[in-house]
Amino acid sequence: MRTRNFDIAVVGGGLVGAALAYGIAGGEVGAARVVMLDEGDHALRAARGNFGLIWVQGKGAHFPAYARWTLNSARRWPELAHRLHDDTGLDVGLSQRGGLHLCLSEQERVVRTKLVESDGGEGARLEMLDRAALRDVVPDLGPDVVAASFGRDDGHVNPLMLLRALHTGFAHLGGTLVVDAGVRSVSYARGIFTLTGTHTSVQAKRIVLAAGLGNAALAPQVGLVAPVTAQRGQIIVLERMPPLLPLPIETLRQTTDGTMLLGDSHEDVANTATSTGVLAAIANHALRALPRLAEARVMRCWAALRVLTSDGMPIYDASASAPGAFVATSHSGVTLAAVHALELAPQLAAGTLDPALTAFSGQRLRAAA
Amino acid sequence: MDSNATLPADCELAIVGAGAAGMAAAALAASLGVDTVLVDEQEAPGGAMYRGLTRATSLRISDADYTRGIELIDAIDTAKLRFSGATRVCGISCTSDGFDLCVASRGHAQIMRARAVVLATGAMERALPIPGAALAGVAYAGAMLCALKLGAGAPAGRVVLAGCGPLLYVAAKALRAAGAEVVALLDTLSVRHFVRALPQALTFMRSPYYASGAKLLREVNDNVPIYHDVEEFAALGNDKLASVRFRAGNRAVTLIADALVVHQGVVPDVQLAEMLGCALSWDDRVAAWVARVDVWGMSSIAGAFVAGDGAGVAGARAAEHRGRIAALGAASSLGHIDVGARDAAAEPHRHALSVAMRGRRFIDRVYLAPPRFRMPEGDTIVCGCENVSARQVIELARQGCAGPNQMKAYLRCGMGACQGRDCGLIVTELIAREQRVHPGRVGRFHARFPARPMSLAELASLPSTEADRAAVARMPGVDASST
Repeated sequence: MRTRNFDIAVVGGGLVGAALAYGIAGGEVGAARVVMLDEGDHALRAARGNFGLIWVQGKGAHFPAYARWTLNSARRWPELAHRLHDDTGLDVGLSQRGGLHLCLSEQERVVRTKLVESDGGEGARLEMLDRAALRDVVPDLGPDVVAASFGRDDGHVNPLMLLRALHTGFAHLGGTLVVDAGVRSVSYARGIFTLTGTHTSVQAKRIVLAAGLGNAALAPQVGLVAPVTAQRGQIIVLERMPPLLPLPIETLRQTTDGTMLLGDSHEDVANTATSTGVLAAIANHALRALPRLAEARVMRCWAALRVLTSDGMPIYDASASAPGAFVATSHSGVTLAAVHALELAPQLAAGTLDPALTAFSGQRLRAAA
Repeated sequence: MDSNATLPADCELAIVGAGAAGMAAAALAASLGVDTVLVDEQEAPGGAMYRGLTRATSLRISDADYTRGIELIDAIDTAKLRFSGATRVCGISCTSDGFDLCVASRGHAQIMRARAVVLATGAMERALPIPGAALAGVAYAGAMLCALKLGAGAPAGRVVLAGCGPLLYVAAKALRAAGAEVVALLDTLSVRHFVRALPQALTFMRSPYYASGAKLLREVNDNVPIYHDVEEFAALGNDKLASVRFRAGNRAVTLIADALVVHQGVVPDVQLAEMLGCALSWDDRVAAWVARVDVWGMSSIAGAFVAGDGAGVAGARAAEHRGRIAALGAASSLGHIDVGARDAAAEPHRHALSVAMRGRRFIDRVYLAPPRFRMPEGDTIVCGCENVSARQVIELARQGCAGPNQMKAYLRCGMGACQGRDCGLIVTELIAREQRVHPGRVGRFHARFPARPMSLAELASLPSTEADRAAVARMPGVDASST
């Protein structure tokens, strides 16, 4: 097995890894010295199960740094979309006209209203809409819908096109992609990291661990912590339909080509099988929101694993014992793609994290664990 | 037979597909006292081969094949089993003591538990990607034959057939019999093919297919202009087919046509087996995935049997015997017969199977669709559902795309209504060729639920537990969506 040398190696080709690799390759380091190590065709791939929301409302209510980071990313998304289009010719289908969170009972409305009132301290634009106001936006809502919160900064994007654009952009810039790398071990000696996988051996002066669930095992090998666990989410995709939903709803969105996506289940399960019981529950929930979907044809369903920390926030950290090793993980790979590519990547390329990101250190979870 | 019974919540043996294999398996299993449920997407049993046979014309019944079909249908009519027609098996999974089948019928869906299953889902037509395939007037021979069997009329105007394989000639004969004006048959195979397969030809001449096959070829040859060695063909027209252009050797020809019927063989339909997690292998001889089974037709998963063309295309006669052998295997694993009785009962079916399989190697070898028609180039559409071209797939494969599932994420190929049935083999073979890897290593699309069409209301009608509903009920204010 031949060992190849690079300046920076990004471990992980999902939405987080690809956004970072793309951002680094487009910066001053130059793409020629950057490698992205991806898994093979059967990887778990949270990136392929993403719902595609750029979501600000409700995030970081108790974690101001996260609220700021999220809002910043939503605001910088148009820049990322433009840059990807310039580099690849691909349109990721960005739409940021706001998003809705439906309340299907009076109790839900009360809880949501409280959240809306407490939120927004970081500049997010959030308000409650009553049923009458809501009907002007989405005319076909079911009778159970009593109200909704409306976040003006929310939006959506085609997550698969985003993944492809990041990979293609990275390739066009001249970055090296290794697939089926299966990195299992990382070692550090005299300023050089060695990454070893089933078919790969790569050396680099700096490494970024963005391996999703794989980070849990990789990070401790270089003095970092990434206590992430899997949470299964299932998604239903319906056939293409005429426009029904002008705005994405947190559990329901219509893509630009008319496809309807239904989702948002949470199970502490670490496999990617679908289960008919949960799918039925998702279907019932969606039919309460939008009864007109009853006769729509189900095209396919799938399950993917979210990469979650115990507090739901991302981890960004630099290793003290192995200088040059960084870790990045987040279950909001789409929402945060803009700050990952445009802000975090330059910091990683320069070798130091902005002090504003110290709030995201994995150390905060070590105490709790 | 308790016809179109309400599906039970439980049964011992669920048989999916009421073609030759499924019918034979069901009748035999029921006769051994196995509590058997047979389901099929069509209203009536028969499968593709014996479709519509209950209301067949006398002309059809005189044919030996069709007499076989009537016997099979009669056998399940009198058997003690439940048959549910117009029923789709949308999902299948393993449980601790058997299998859960997600079954949809007439606007309602349910879970049926079975201790053993026989997947007898048969074969499906191999896609034939050509320029203009989406034009109105272009149809597949298998679908056309099924429609004819159900009493549909032949297409009006000038009909051209193109592709390869015995079924193309069967279609030519059937279309002529139904009154169609068949103006040409474009065969993509070359005569050299037959020469290469000669070592297997002797066995083929002893097969039951030889006499009828030779007669069929003669009949079509005498009545339809046949062009061999067709290297390229395309359907032309605006929204509707107007002509067919083709090249054979140095000749380029354009034929005015109102209908183009294409075909290039059939391949096992392994979607449910794949969904269940049965081991599949890539069979180079037929350039397709085949379920791996033992001598009883049992897959890599205990209690899950694959019978008929799903375990390797061999035609209706072989399917019938493989169905019976699987039924014996299942009956024995369910404790209805002992191993000695099973082995003795299987003996005549094994003999009949070996007779029915004679010459199969020859047929596989001679009629394998040529690579250029399995792996298209340029703007030819690979995935008709999502309009993905061969060029796009090839480009990403060269960029190092990790495999069919990453390709699907990149291009959406295989995400459409057909669930990748049409483009799956093409994408696997294109990646294999571009990356110089064996197709068996490239792999295939993950099968996604539902395997068959289903409405959201049907999906919503499935049972869910308290825990399932709790997984979907959002805790207000908790942020855990994937964004």
